Amino acid sequence: MKANNAPAVGRTPFQKWCDKYQGLFYLIPWIIGFVVFKAIPFGQSLFYSFTDMNFFNGISEYGLMNYIDAFTTSRITKALITTFQYSFITVPLKLIFALFIAYILNFNIKFVNLFRTAYYIPSILGGSVAIAVLWRAVFRDDGLINTLIKMITFGAFDGPSWLSDPNYALWVICLLRIWQFGSAMVLFLAALKGVPADLYEAATIDGAGKWRQFFSITVPMITPIIFYNLVTQICQAFQEFNGPYIITNGGPRNATTLISLLVYQYAFQQNEMGMASALAWIMFVIVCVLTIIAFTSQKKWVYYSDER
Amino acid sequence: MSNAISRRDFLKVTGAVGAAGLLAACGGGSSSSTAANSAPASVAAPSGDAVELSISWWGGESRHEAYQAAIAAFSEANSNITVNPTFAAWSGWEDTMSTKFAGGVAEDVCQVNWNWLYNYSGNAQTFLDLNSVSDYIDFSQWDEATLGACYVANSQQAVPVSMTGRIFYWNMTTFNKAGITEVPKTLDDLMAAGAAFQSQLGDDYYPLHLGGYDRMILTVFYLESIYGKDWADPATSTLNYTADEIAEGLDFIKSLVDNHVVMPLPTYYGNNGSTAANQSNEWITGKIAGIFEWDSSAAKYQDSLDEENRPGFTVGEEIKFGDYNGGFTKVSMGLAITQTCQHPAEAAMLINFLLNEEEGASIMGSECGIPASKSGLAAAEAAGAIDELVAEANGKVMAFNAFQLDPLFEDDTLKADGTGVYQEVFDTIDYDGVSGADVVDILLDGMEGVGYTINA
Repeated sequence: MKANNAPAVGRTPFQKWCDKYQGLFYLIPWIIGFVVFKAIPFGQSLFYSFTDMNFFNGISEYGLMNYIDAFTTSRITKALITTFQYSFITVPLKLIFALFIAYILNFNIKFVNLFRTAYYIPSILGGSVAIAVLWRAVFRDDGLINTLIKMITFGAFDGPSWLSDPNYALWVICLLRIWQFGSAMVLFLAALKGVPADLYEAATIDGAGKWRQFFSITVPMITPIIFYNLVTQICQAFQEFNGPYIITNGGPRNATTLISLLVYQYAFQQNEMGMASALAWIMFVIVCVLTIIAFTSQKKWVYYSDER
Repeated sequence: MSNAISRRDFLKVTGAVGAAGLLAACGGGSSSSTAANSAPASVAAPSGDAVELSISWWGGESRHEAYQAAIAAFSEANSNITVNPTFAAWSGWEDTMSTKFAGGVAEDVCQVNWNWLYNYSGNAQTFLDLNSVSDYIDFSQWDEATLGACYVANSQQAVPVSMTGRIFYWNMTTFNKAGITEVPKTLDDLMAAGAAFQSQLGDDYYPLHLGGYDRMILTVFYLESIYGKDWADPATSTLNYTADEIAEGLDFIKSLVDNHVVMPLPTYYGNNGSTAANQSNEWITGKIAGIFEWDSSAAKYQDSLDEENRPGFTVGEEIKFGDYNGGFTKVSMGLAITQTCQHPAEAAMLINFLLNEEEGASIMGSECGIPASKSGLAAAEAAGAIDELVAEANGKVMAFNAFQLDPLFEDDTLKADGTGVYQEVFDTIDYDGVSGADVVDILLDGMEGVGYTINA
């Protein structure tokens, strides 16, 4: 900042030019990266989505056939529906769970840092072979969950076949995502720390209970972070790949085949980049629409202190 | 809170950029289909200058060790050539390699699956015509028919490493517990084993496990035994069977499931998700006591058994279900040189060293199956590097299996775990309890989709 405020007297035209554009120079590496790795592929994928582009056969046809196929092929429409189910289950549950845990960890309890770390760890682990092994051990027919169910019901009920029953398999994948609530929790925790203590003091003096304080002070004050988490979680949920890929590989009977898994299969197993690109663009449009809805609705429920 | 407000614009960008990331992942490809074919003219002779080569393969730990030892020996004998290896397990390997082939960044020498020559180099655009390096690879070490299996699009695109076929392997430790002392040799033996396992060991024990692709191979094996004709014309991929005949084959598999010979797929998924059979608890502990696998896979399945069950691992007998010897043999894998290789002569020397020369072949042994090269086999045998189990399995397969495979049979759209057409067919049978006639159209539609000519 000092350099910018210094008098221009004595500086050559080149130095003045450098002063003016030095910020741009700092951005050049990022701009190059964005253009090469994002913008150009972004445009290419839009082009490919209107072709029958195959890695090894090239392009022989242009048109809307991929988009028509996407909405008329049962396997793809089922994957779209499954992706919506997955997102609408995981996003609210993950946010509620993250906020609940963050609220508890905001109190001055013993070993609070240990708990915060422990709850954050699943987010770091992400989708890996180790997690796949763990999840299968927990949800297999004679795994931890069914053993607990059997114990609680005194052997009267065996529990469902989580991994093989198409009605339950999606829940296994959903639970993996909800379990990884750490990053949302950290943001909630930071937001909770920012709520002014005097609001609670005033509410306590007025006789408001904990629940009333939570819903009338805490929640409104952290709505910007709730909104932020909501948007990012929607984006991430629609792009979820690791969970279904490593645990069920889309099965049983395509019950956990999300649209991102289909994109991968079309692109890298069947080499059909045209269809893969069309599916990616359909997903992009869906995420955009949901994001626009979220942004539009925020006027009604998100509180920004400098706007009131 | 005021800090959060200032992020509103950032939020807008975050949403758009986050979703755009996925799109970017789909747009990076470029077609390599226009790559010109190499004329089979001779390539430049080795110069003696320092040369760097790359090689890739898939496999298990023992294969990795063998390749690395052989490469070290090659570099010692050719001090100017450095070879950089890339290797991993099979899972996901084809996805990786197909992307590399498409991008023109695959290694100089690649271990390839037989159908890759058709899928990824159908116009000879990916792999070099090895006739152009015939001065450095001794083609006389292969039978004409074996070598011809890798001759695609008027180009010798690879040399075969080994030949393979499917055979039964049994865990006789479990069979003995069920009161069975002989490996199954007939269909009646299989059915009897199913009944014995259920009555003696319980509902959790099965004589055999077959995944979706395994079931399709056994279906073809069965139909070839009954009708005595190839599944499809190896040259034109015209299906040789009618819908009724195929339904009969599918019902055969269903009968194995219904008679407790083969574990139902829902039961398998319930305990293992998408885990491979050799990594499943049921196989490791002997609850699944049999598999129908490639002859080169013996060690992988034997090694994964626990201490109690490992000694009982036995190569079974091919079963004759009809008047003919069913089953097909195919090139297990080959070694190819990519069109992008800068030093094809040196790459050919490396292939010759690994497959034909005494030192290399004796190190490689039977890690990639029983060598198809005559000199390679002789060297490996002389060095005592042939695994007895693999040799036994390969001997039985080659002596029995009489039919040929067409290249579309292994198309990923059909055979992929979890999402392939074969999987869908057998999932539908097992989950819905329907007959072969009810699902044969799913199979035929899927086959037609990948290029089969269907006259059924």
